[in-house]
Amino acid sequence: MWKLFAVLLVLAPQLTAQVRTALDGDRNRILSLENAWNQAVHQKDTSALKMLLSRDLVYVDFDGKLMDSAAYLASVQSQAIHPERIVSESMNVHLYGAVAVVNGVYRESGTKSGKSYTLRERFTDTWVRQNDSWVCVASQSTLASQ
Amino acid sequence: MRNVGFAMFLVYWATLAAGAQNSPDVGGGTTILALEHAWDQAQERGDVKALAAIFDNSLIYIDYDGKLLTKAEYLARVKANNTHIQQIVAEEMSVQMFGNTAIVVGSYRVKGVENGKPYLRRGRFTDTWVLTGKNWICVAAAATPILH
Repeated sequence: MWKLFAVLLVLAPQLTAQVRTALDGDRNRILSLENAWNQAVHQKDTSALKMLLSRDLVYVDFDGKLMDSAAYLASVQSQAIHPERIVSESMNVHLYGAVAVVNGVYRESGTKSGKSYTLRERFTDTWVRQNDSWVCVASQSTLASQ
Repeated sequence: MRNVGFAMFLVYWATLAAGAQNSPDVGGGTTILALEHAWDQAQERGDVKALAAIFDNSLIYIDYDGKLLTKAEYLARVKANNTHIQQIVAEEMSVQMFGNTAIVVGSYRVKGVENGKPYLRRGRFTDTWVLTGKNWICVAAAATPILH
């Protein structure tokens, strides 16, 4: 019993460090995926988006419009919208096992039907780990003051 | 007394959720929807104790005006009841299950009085629920005004 206790005492800090490293790894991975999402929207790259987003995606846009995966991909491909700058800021990742919730501020500027626009939104994204990959299953944005 | 009754209601649904783990209805969609309705009722009553049991301590709440609130801030706002909510009606709710995660999306109407003036707001919401142990707990909620 004493020996077991001693072994656990020695291993505990290493195990804790490994868990922390794994969590940091997941956090960094998800932040990378968020940035990849922005790049894919900027480039209207729906192939990349399909890898990031679940087929069952639930997407609520800043105007309250509800979209499924197909509708969202179609909106990204719209020729009327030309995003010039997309940045996500102040992102926080909360991990709950195989679930991650990200919140942050999304800024987008560009032209829509020839007119310039600027958006500042607060977003919440929910990612789920499926077969060792993270996919986004839900995303919602709300307009926030500039 | 209301709080006790509501707490019993929550325990009842949590028990159903636990039971659901052993049945094909692991989805627990009905449990989640019941919790959503319970949330609306608790908010209407300003029942902070009941609401505290629904949310994870790390709750992320995005209000309809884009403001980010923690659990403590959200509960304090409900308690203060500055917006004098009279009625909350959830509409068109649907639940999607991803293992131990549930996403609820729906629309709602809120009726109340703010600064002496009546208001009626309509919005879309997305709530994220996670099964922790035997209980479903809400970890994130976001509301967006319907403008289109």
